[in-house]
Amino acid sequence: MPVNVVVLMKPVVDPKAIVNFRPDGTIDRSAVKLVVNPYDKYAIEAAVQLKEKLGGKVVGIAMAPLHAVDSLREALAIGVDEFILLSDLKLAGSDTLATSYALSAAIRKIWQKLGSLDLILCGIESSDSNTGHIGPEVGEWLGLPSVSYVDSILEVRDGSVLVKRLIEGGYVVMKVKLPAVLSIAGTSYQPRIPALREVLAARRKQITVWNTAEVGIDQSLVGLAGSPTRVVRMWRIEIKRRGKIFSDPDVDKMLEKFLEEIRRDGISLGVRS
Amino acid sequence: MTFSKILVYVETSEDSPAEHSLELIWKARELASKADMSVEAVLVGHGVFDIAREVTYRGVSKVHVVDNPRLATYSLIPYTTAIAEVIKKTEPEIALFSATVIGRELAPRVAARLKTGITADCTDVDIGSWVDPSTGRKYEKVLYQIRPTYGGEIMAAIVTPSHRPQMATVRPGLFPIPPRDTSRSGEIVGWNIEIADEEFSKIEVLEVRREQRKVDLKSAKLIVSGGRGCGLKGLELVRELAEVLGGEVGASRAAVDSGWISYDHQVGLTGQTVKPEVYIAIGISGAVQHVVGMKDSKIVIAINKDPDAPIFRVTDYGIVGDLFVVVPKLIEKLKRR
Repeated sequence: MPVNVVVLMKPVVDPKAIVNFRPDGTIDRSAVKLVVNPYDKYAIEAAVQLKEKLGGKVVGIAMAPLHAVDSLREALAIGVDEFILLSDLKLAGSDTLATSYALSAAIRKIWQKLGSLDLILCGIESSDSNTGHIGPEVGEWLGLPSVSYVDSILEVRDGSVLVKRLIEGGYVVMKVKLPAVLSIAGTSYQPRIPALREVLAARRKQITVWNTAEVGIDQSLVGLAGSPTRVVRMWRIEIKRRGKIFSDPDVDKMLEKFLEEIRRDGISLGVRS
Repeated sequence: MTFSKILVYVETSEDSPAEHSLELIWKARELASKADMSVEAVLVGHGVFDIAREVTYRGVSKVHVVDNPRLATYSLIPYTTAIAEVIKKTEPEIALFSATVIGRELAPRVAARLKTGITADCTDVDIGSWVDPSTGRKYEKVLYQIRPTYGGEIMAAIVTPSHRPQMATVRPGLFPIPPRDTSRSGEIVGWNIEIADEEFSKIEVLEVRREQRKVDLKSAKLIVSGGRGCGLKGLELVRELAEVLGGEVGASRAAVDSGWISYDHQVGLTGQTVKPEVYIAIGISGAVQHVVGMKDSKIVIAINKDPDAPIFRVTDYGIVGDLFVVVPKLIEKLKRR
């Protein structure tokens, strides 16, 4: 049975970049490079593996400003067939409730175009906001079951999907009726590195841009006006990690340097030292 | 006059309220006394009235119970309905959940059902008034939801001024457990919530595999943890280093799932939350589920052969190299000290 999959992706501030504040206390996203949320890459890999096994189509969707478009090419290179960028100034300032509403409206439109939809996949959370809300909230808006912390998709059969999901101290195997929303936590889906040929081909693929009107989004439910939450203040944490990296092919030399450094920083390694 | 209240969703563990839920009650009581509110709890399951009694001993004035044989095991959609209905009927100002595997999927689902705001994974919550700078309007009994963001570098304070309830998930392991006092009395209210058959059939649990925990890493001063990169042999090195340093042995989920070490030792979202003086991560890539369990450690040291491994972003001292070369040499040098 071929499966049609929608993968939700968030362009995020490169986790390696240092973010800066604007004078008004918000994060300045304009100066930093955007990349696909690393956790969403597991979801892309899971979707592409399903497509390879069962056939069907993988459609990617992201809600982001237009300049995020370049960060999404990577998904196309990995094997996403089509990409929708939901972009509109009216969406700016959306919190997770508003974002999940807008995405669910766009998913309905993709669903209509495909004729059928089986799975909606996303990463367990984003590397910048770390909420993990979008999967369950999209499920609720669409009236579909959702499962968070999915380690792996075991089987798709007879209108259901069998998933292994992490819990405290173990896992559960669940049978979930399709269509379903799955938030992928599994590092069992190590994202593949696309070949140069695929990267070049992805550059020529079209990314379709939709605005809120085209999707039929109720504008009172998105943006700041549609968001129940407000960020009132942000501040940098004072205790920062030292981030000292030791790298040397001469392991002895490297370890001596490391031990010397921690000694100098007054770090005691263990109770017996 | 009705008191405004804070509602805490209580998870169960065996036949008791979960520890993290009791921690949340402690925090809710602190907020309630500050703002002259009451603390209530909601409990969903089957045969949970005794657990509800236990919850009242921890200083909760009322426990709302949705008890139904079909709710005996956790299932997302019926539980969402049960909790959302109790919230609609009792109208709390604030609803708090633990940031556990269950809480982190259930709370946003409930929030979306009620079309209210929610903040994830708070490390603290506070209560007070808030003035909207754009309208000048003042809001009372506002929950300040404080959480790390941008991978933990930045803290944010978030409010939900005009929607109710104000919802948040709060990280376990941050607050004490309120003392058990059997002389306390609290009201227990049973609710009969109608849940459609269809809600039960959408997600079916076929198999549960779970281990109980014996090793307590919470009070450890030094932890040496091994991950996917270790293998059985690497974990031997992890144990040896822990032994030399007089520390405890920890592990990532990947190492536990591979059967190299028991669940007792697992650090992370589905394991234990630790904050030792020194945390040494060996062959651990630093998946978010692991990092949430150790990022409050005072000093983090990582050994990994991949210089781009995310663990190095939350590290004080990162050693890039093959653990099978680095760790034996490190042990040798430490022994010589």
